[in-house]
Amino acid sequence: MQIKDYTSVIIKGRIDSMTAGDFENKIMEILGGGVTKMLLDCSDLTYISSSGLRVFLVAQKKILATGGTLRICCLKPEIKDIFDISGFSIIFSIFSDVEKATSD
Amino acid sequence: MKRTITLSNRIDELTRISSFLKKCADQWGIPAPVTLSLNLVMEEAFTNVVQYAYSDNHDHDIDLIIKKKDKELEITLIDDGKQYDPTDEKEPDINLSANDRPIGGLGIFLIKKTMDNVSYYRKDNKNHLVMVKKV
Repeated sequence: MQIKDYTSVIIKGRIDSMTAGDFENKIMEILGGGVTKMLLDCSDLTYISSSGLRVFLVAQKKILATGGTLRICCLKPEIKDIFDISGFSIIFSIFSDVEKATSD
Repeated sequence: MKRTITLSNRIDELTRISSFLKKCADQWGIPAPVTLSLNLVMEEAFTNVVQYAYSDNHDHDIDLIIKKKDKELEITLIDDGKQYDPTDEKEPDINLSANDRPIGGLGIFLIKKTMDNVSYYRKDNKNHLVMVKKV
């Protein structure tokens, strides 16, 4: 879904060791299509493990390497906790809602 | 109170781990955020064993035990893989930028940060990882 300049990807359910591979393939496919501004909408992300965090980091590295922008929005508090513990909150631009995330 | 589940060394056993945990949580009245944390540490510990503990292609039994004590929940994972003490792992530097952050190395760290105490011992040629959360 396109929101202003951003290609918004809605993530639903669990990203664990079983699902992270599919998630990574999907994200890489989108990035491979030339997307430089991506928003990961995590409103419906209910669980994430290190396998999922890994994919977020891989995506961030790839986008930074091409001079693009990756933003994350709408993390549930329990998921935000895991981002905080991992130090991922400082390596991603995290917004509370879609509006703020796509405002510039 | 104590429950045990015996798992095979396959990643798709995570589905059984989740439903096992859910059953315990429902019966023992474990709050949802704690259950989520326990699910995370169970996945990280189990995935680590499945991916790194075995160099053969055989099936192995891995025991997952959850105990509810007065003021704590104790999770123990027992595997017959090669000797490995995850509590020895160096912690990742969480202050690095995205470019400098290495991929991986977060699983054990998440276990240590999520739980109040994590200990390891080797007994009868098996690895025992004991993870305690105060409730």
